[in-house]
Parts: sequence; C-alpha cells; structure tokens
Amino acid sequence: MRTSSDHILTSHAGSLPRPDALIAANRAHEIGDAVDKRHYDETLRAAVGEVVRHQKELGVDIPGDGEFGKPMGQRVNYGSWWRYSWQRLGGIEPGQNSLYDMQPHRSSTGHIVLTSFGDRRDRTQFAAAYADPDSGITTGPRPPAPICVAPLTYKGQDAINADIANLKAALAVAGVEEGFMTAVAPASCARIGNNYYKTDEEFLYACAEAMREEYRAIVDAGIVLQFDDPCVAEGWDQVNPEPTVAEYQKLATTWIEALNHAIKGLPPDRLRFHLCWGSWHGPHTTDIPMRDIVEVMLRANVGAYSFEAGNVRHEHEWKVWRDVKLPDDKIILPGVVSHATNVVEHPELVADRILRFANLVGRGRVVASTDCGLGGRVHPQIAWAKLEALAQGAALASKALWH
Amino acid sequence: MRTSTDHILTSHVGSLPRPDDLIEANRARDAGEASDEPAFQATLRAAVDDAVRHQKELGIDVPGDGEFGKSVGHRVNYGAWWNYVFLRLGGLELGGPSLDHMTPRQARPGEIVLTNAARRRDRVRFAAAYADRESGVFMGPRPSTGPVCVGPLTYIGHAAIRADIDNFKAALQASGVEEGFMTSVAPGSAYRIPNTYYKSDEEFLYAWAEAMREEYKAIVDAGLVLQLDDPATATGWDMIDPEPKVEDYRKFTMIRVEVLNHALRGLPQDRIRYHLCWGSWHGPHTTDIPMRDIVEVMLAVNAQAYSFEAGNVRHEHEWKVWRDVKLPDDKIILPGVVSHATNVVEHPELVAERILRFANLVGRERVVASTDCGLGGRVHPQIAWAKLEALAQGAALATGQLWR
Repeated sequence: MRTSSDHILTSHAGSLPRPDALIAANRAHEIGDAVDKRHYDETLRAAVGEVVRHQKELGVDIPGDGEFGKPMGQRVNYGSWWRYSWQRLGGIEPGQNSLYDMQPHRSSTGHIVLTSFGDRRDRTQFAAAYADPDSGITTGPRPPAPICVAPLTYKGQDAINADIANLKAALAVAGVEEGFMTAVAPASCARIGNNYYKTDEEFLYACAEAMREEYRAIVDAGIVLQFDDPCVAEGWDQVNPEPTVAEYQKLATTWIEALNHAIKGLPPDRLRFHLCWGSWHGPHTTDIPMRDIVEVMLRANVGAYSFEAGNVRHEHEWKVWRDVKLPDDKIILPGVVSHATNVVEHPELVADRILRFANLVGRGRVVASTDCGLGGRVHPQIAWAKLEALAQGAALASKALWH
Repeated sequence: MRTSTDHILTSHVGSLPRPDDLIEANRARDAGEASDEPAFQATLRAAVDDAVRHQKELGIDVPGDGEFGKSVGHRVNYGAWWNYVFLRLGGLELGGPSLDHMTPRQARPGEIVLTNAARRRDRVRFAAAYADRESGVFMGPRPSTGPVCVGPLTYIGHAAIRADIDNFKAALQASGVEEGFMTSVAPGSAYRIPNTYYKSDEEFLYAWAEAMREEYKAIVDAGLVLQLDDPATATGWDMIDPEPKVEDYRKFTMIRVEVLNHALRGLPQDRIRYHLCWGSWHGPHTTDIPMRDIVEVMLAVNAQAYSFEAGNVRHEHEWKVWRDVKLPDDKIILPGVVSHATNVVEHPELVAERILRFANLVGRERVVASTDCGLGGRVHPQIAWAKLEALAQGAALATGQLWR
C-alpha cells in the first residue's frame, strides 16, 4: 500500500456521485424494466473510466471506482455500499421490511442485541427532526432487506470481476499505480434477517465465509481492499437502551474477529478498514466516542484505518492519538473533508486537520481522506468541490511538513 | 455589556426556532387574514417568554428574544432578520423585484456594484446544487417581489419595536436574567432594495441610517444590548460580479461602516455588538471573502463586541487571524463555536477547543461563546436547541480549563 513518503497522499472513503446515465440504468434495473446487459456494462465501464480520470485530475492520489458497480438508482442514496451484497449472495430471499421497519429489539444487561434502524437512539431522541422533509436529514430509498433462508453462498463472481476489470482498465488509462475497492465487512453485511442459521454468530461467520471470495478476488487483482464496517461504530446507537461500554466493546470485538477470520492469509498491507458513525445528516448525539472504540478498530488485521474526523461530532478526537499508540506498521486515513455539511472545507482547515494527525503519528503515516463516501450524500457538484479542497489542503500540509 | 469575568459567557446570534402557533399566527396575519390582534400579541408575548426561559434553562447567559417579533410564516426561513424592517419604514411601496430578481449588474474595476442574489458567484458556480430540492440548500419560500423606496424613508415601527422591547423585558424579568440582546438590521444590509427616490446609493444609505437610528436608540434606551446584523459586509463580496479587487471592496464596505457609525453617533459603544456573517444558506460558500481581508473593516464599527462565523468549515481556520490582528483593548469577540451549517450537533469538547483557541489569543475575558448565525429557520428546532445545549456545555468545559 502506498504511504505518504514524500507528500501527504490523498484518498477518500469510496462512494462518488454517479453520473445520471448510470443512475438511470440502475433505476431501470431496480424497477424491473428490461435492461440491455451490454449497454449497461458499457455505461458502467465508461463511468468508471471517467471517475478515475476525474479523481486524478483533482489530485486524488489513490482513487477508487466510486463504488459505481454497487448499484444506485437515485441521486440521494446512503445504502448502496452494503445493499450491493444482496445481489451477490445466495441463500437469501426478498423480505418484507426495511431495516427501519423491523421489529425493535430491546437490550438488557448481559443481553445486548441490535435493534431496528427506526429504533436507533438518536433517531428516537430527534424523532421530529428525522421525520421532517425540510430538515435535510435525507436517507434516500429504504428497500426491504432480504432474509437468509439457506446456506449463504457467494454468487457475485461476475459482478466483482467486472468491477475489477473496470477499475484496472481505468487505472491503466489514467496512469495511476494504485487504486482501492470497497467491500462490505461481515458484521455490516450480517444485519439482514436470518431464518436459517441458529445463532447470530453462526450467521456472522457464514457472511465472513461468503464474502471472503470477494475479498480475495480484489486482493488477488492487486487492488487495495477497503472494508466498510460502519456497524462497529454505529452499532452503539443501534443498541437501545444504551449499553455499558464494556459490553458493547465485547460485542464489537466479535465482529472484528469475524472479519479477521474472513481475511486470514490475506496480506494486511493490501487492506484498509473504514470505520464510521453513519453518514446520515442527523444530530449524531449518540455516537460512541472514538476513544471507546479505537482499540477494537485496531484489532482488525489490516494495514490502514479510515475514520471520520472532519465533522463536528468527531473533529476533536484527533487527540485520541495522544494516548493511543498506532502500531508501527499501520497508517491512518482520517476524514478531513466531510459529507456532513454542504459548505466546502477551506483548504487551510484541511491542512490544519492533517497537521494535527501528522504531528501525533508522523507524516509518513497519514493519508488525507474523507469522513465517508460523498456520493449520494451531498450534491455531485459539492462532492467534487470537496475532493478538490482535500487535494489543495493536502498540498498545503505537505508544504508545511516537508519544507 | 457583560463580559466573561469569571466564566466563558454564552450567547448566540439571534434567531431561534419559532413555535408552530407563532408561525401560523404570523402567516395568517401577513396574508391579511382576519386576525385578532390582541390574541396575536398574546401568542407572541408567550412565545418570547418561553424562549427566554428555555435559553436560561440550557445555560445561555445573554439571551435574546429569538427575533420572534420579526415575522416568520414558514419553518424554513432565512430572511426575517432583515425583511421585518420593510413593515417598519415609511417611504416604501410593495411591488418591486426581490433581491433574487433585481436587475443583475456587472461590476468594473474601481466601480463596484452589487448584482442580484441569484447572480451570486457561488450560486452561479454551483447552480445545479442550488437548484436541486434534495441538495439541502433549500431556503424556504422566497418572495419574488419586494419593496421599492419611492419617498423619504421614515421610521414608523414604533409600536412594533415597543412591543418587542416590552415582551423581551418582561421575559427577562420573569426569568431573572440581567442582560439580554435584541437584533436590528444595519443600513448596509437593509438598503439592498430598488430605490427611485434618492439620487445616489450614498444618499439612500444615509436615509436608512437616519430612519433605523430610531430603532437602535429605542433598544439601547430600553437597557437592552443592541446587536446590528450586517452580513452584507461579508456577503457583499460574493454578490459582486466579477470578483473585485480586495482593496476596492474594502473601500466599498468602509463607506457602509461609516454610514452605520453615523447612525450610532452618541449611542454608548458598550451597549452595542455587531454581527458579521457570510450568509447562512447551506451552500458551498467557496466564494466567501477571507476574514483576514475584512477584519479591519469590521473593527471600524463603533461597537464594543463583534460576532462572526468561526464554527463552519469555511471559516473555522480563521481563528488564526487574531495572531496578527490586534483586538483593541476595550473590545470583545463572540466567535461562532456552534453552527447552523451542519445538522450534526457539535461535540462539547470541540466547542471547548474552539473557545480555547480564541481565549488563548485575545484573553479569556474577551471571548463570549456564540453561534455562527441564527439557528432559527436554518436547522430543525430540535437540532437548534440541542446545539445551544452543546454550546453551553462546551463553554463550561472551556471555563474549567481557563479558570482552574
């Protein structure tokens, strides 16, 4: 994995704005319209080519494919980063309820379970704000989640091969040496219904086994693999009532262990892990502090950690790295621009943020990144302007750090 | 004016979420529907009372009346802070174009003119984002028409300002709060309407100053702290097309500051605070003028205290301005440490961090923790109140550091 050896490298958390043609093609597929497979594949390939070129132009050193292979049929969409897996897994069938409408599950001491999305604590506390269409808390479509009814299998070989081929071709054309691709981590994948496996743990490990195929395919192709595992942080808010930190850490550790199981034998220096507290534009008052979850995160056997640090709930948490030692062979990708505001970060603020991290863990171990995917969460024009600000801020920081 | 003598005081920029019954009463009254005036006044009075109590409960040391006397007929509203005044002045007639619809004007080197709000440079650059109902830039219903000045400007808002003052003073007393502030629009921000009466912009500006002086005096005479809302000082930059030279823009705004100082002549400086901002709409704000380029213009205003945005990602880094710029000894600042620009509620530790940066540069006694801009109309009411709570919690954390 590239590290910031002579300047602060830039990357981002994955999702980028899909072009309208691709959204339309995905939408047609979603609602069951006949879609010309070849035409779709061409649209996707062209879009990935364009998005890699655009990232390079703006100064993003380690581009992704924008998650374009993960279908998004709407411009506002917060879920394609994991819902894509529903099309790549066997053993599941369509369900009735979205995660928002599922039956709430209340936790008690010694018995900690995830409740429905609708019963999240921030959502309950700010119910009126979440319900108001003028509040800016959009979450896009909320399709029913599938249910696992048979042994889970991976059947997304064609899809992941196409994703890989598209990204590799785009990287080659743009002359970019390293790119990354996201895949959902087992714990975040396992939040759908399960009627087949006897326990949550069994189901979690079934997800790990199935998704392992995708992970291997990405790594084998020479692409940096990013695990999207927001569950590890946002799961806290999805336990109602609030559990003890120790109990939650125990639960979240089981999720990381499942991930480590899935990536056994894969080279850590080709893997990065993305932690986040959920990208919806809500108040986020019930986010678990980074300090309480950072050691759990660091247990993931990967070479790099990406996390939110560019929004007002988590910006102050750079100070965590005063106390917590980042192992010598690891790097971090803090979010220094964010989806959480339409205002475009001033490059000097971006530089300030980078410098805070670099001063604590060393310039060679910081890659400037975004809080979360920008695609689907802010308007395309704003998303691109933020990537531009990211690159400009990283250049300012590089100047200060390598002068 | 109270200053942070033994702890970091908290205040905010003015607008707070109106309760639904007041919004509905405003809407009906503004639409000319049959309205029971005493009942309306009672609704307004009760709402102000409640807002002051709520601020005190959350730990706001220097509360306002939430600008509740400035009519808002929709929960999303970015304009009441200045368009309230059109009902308080004589010499105006309805039927002109709104700020969005005024004839666009091109500036030339050395000859600065404001274009219309729709031609703002950020708005043009991000036209698709501004136009998209899902982008979050929604600014509420925007009038297509506005007032035109057709005769001598006179202040006719005596009853309205009297009611505002009475409501607010009663509320302060009921809550046992010693000091409160009330906002009023500055001439340089108010005059941006078509004028067919006065011969020049400058004459028009001074007419505004004379008229508004009555309101300023009424607020100060009542023992309230007067806050002058003057975003035009910063937002004007984005409203000049093409981008002017900084020097030309400074001259342009300095004239407006002189006009304001003329309006404030003889009023006690230590009862006056000034609010600068870059516009509270949820846009990218890439064309905001840097604080460094206008801070001296701001400091030329004869006020004791300066309120400005410092809690959003376009201006957060500008606390460093105070490394180079000397804040005169008798002045204080009210930096925004929580913002309307994101739905995410600021973590109290971030609020404290922001306060400390300012306190370390200008001294703890000269910082009052505040908001970027009014929260009312710009974020959901639940979020607005949660942000004020975070502000108070953060100020308490900062106080713990600064007075230990």
